[in-house]
Amino acid sequence: MRLLRQALLLLRSELRQELRDFELLLTAGFFTVVLLAMFYLSFASLQAKAHLHALPGLMWLTVAFVGVLTLTRVFDREREADTLRALLAAPIDRLAIYLAKAAMALSVLMVCCAVLVPGLWLIFPAAQAFADQPGQTALLALLGCGGYVAIGTLFAAGLATGAGKNTLLFIILYPLTTPVLMYALVTTRALIDRDPGLPGHLMQMFVLDVILFAAACLLFETVLIGAPVRPHRRPPLRPSVHRDMSREPSR
Amino acid sequence: MSEAAAALHGVAQRFGRKVVLRGVDLELRPGGIVGLVGANGSGKTTLFAILSGLLQPDAGERRLFGRAADEVDAPARARLAYVAHATQLYGALSARENLRLFADLRAAAGLSTRPADEVLRELGLSPEALGRPVATFSRGMAQRVALARALAARPELLLLDEPFTALDAAGRGLLSRVLLDERSRGAAVLLSSHDFDALVQICDRIVLLEGGALARSVEHRGDREDFRRRAAALWHDLPADPGDTLVDGPR
Repeated sequence: MRLLRQALLLLRSELRQELRDFELLLTAGFFTVVLLAMFYLSFASLQAKAHLHALPGLMWLTVAFVGVLTLTRVFDREREADTLRALLAAPIDRLAIYLAKAAMALSVLMVCCAVLVPGLWLIFPAAQAFADQPGQTALLALLGCGGYVAIGTLFAAGLATGAGKNTLLFIILYPLTTPVLMYALVTTRALIDRDPGLPGHLMQMFVLDVILFAAACLLFETVLIGAPVRPHRRPPLRPSVHRDMSREPSR
Repeated sequence: MSEAAAALHGVAQRFGRKVVLRGVDLELRPGGIVGLVGANGSGKTTLFAILSGLLQPDAGERRLFGRAADEVDAPARARLAYVAHATQLYGALSARENLRLFADLRAAAGLSTRPADEVLRELGLSPEALGRPVATFSRGMAQRVALARALAARPELLLLDEPFTALDAAGRGLLSRVLLDERSRGAAVLLSSHDFDALVQICDRIVLLEGGALARSVEHRGDREDFRRRAAALWHDLPADPGDTLVDGPR
């Protein structure tokens, strides 16, 4: 209960800051629209059958790009004033920081999906399946983005406490989120094909999300602070030679 | 003799191949102010990070409030406050909102905090400034907010990394008085500074961090002038560093 209250307080603070400049939403939303425009210019002239094959890839490619942008910006706020360390030094459950950041990133990604999915439907008639199955589409977007954010928030936080290695996030995140994105691609294809096995695919995505979320929760504090001290983990260094000058005469 | 609020025994830290701390022994007792001096890059900030739990040392023992602290858990963090060299404030939030966020987080953990306005006014911030975004503050004003956030928690252990930075003469005097009040209250204080006059006026002991080790120390034994002379000798032996800015020093 305490953990949830602290996570909600941090999320409220995130939202308060976001509502003052809309920096995250504008950046991510604009990038989504730009990608949609590029997709339209590149693929709209293709045959409808080709759209069917391309749609899952376009959707999750956008989530992958917008996701990494969002995660970077979510932690840039902390990096700019080093506020993440203030939170880590505060007497709060550190997992609350992870939960708040993940919730914020997921909220932004879901807003982008609310632009992306109707956008794809407008551009590509083959995306009619999204409009026909709004509940399943929303669940698919939530589960796909949820898994991506679960693992992405962990590594974005780890890099935020380092010395400004944002580019590393791209290198680390894409290989690690590949399983989530692959599952999402397969499930999206099942949704477009109106495959009766869709609920099974969604359940598999849910299980994967739970596993990733649990692993991230377990690792979060270690990634940020390091492992607990183990005495004599390294050979002792030259000990300090402490001279007490209080016993020496004044110069 | 009262139990140490914090103690380090043989603490060592290295980053890659660079040894930053080698076998540091340090004790901070309640009702005492210890000044930490050393050239830039001598390991002062690393020492603060280890004491506040933001960094796990490679070797050695860290004790907080009488018990071994392999990890600095939330109950231990509830009893300490750390003011880093950066102000660690959210620029989009006002001074009042910054303090309230941390007060609310503490309240969620069942911990009390002094009212934000009261502490901010005590540190010389005008009532009109309290509602303004911190991003519009001067560095000195932001430093006062950061100090207020730390003092609001009534910490038993106060860790201050160059707290006099950017404060004007009035601010330095005010902070010195506040720190003496904290000492009277029974708090243990560790502060680093390049301000010689401020240190000798309020510290009970000054220690020199040199080559990653606490090399020498001087202790106040009742006569402030005598303490000043002996501290000046210690100050005189500080390694020259082109980036080091010493103010008001006796060199």
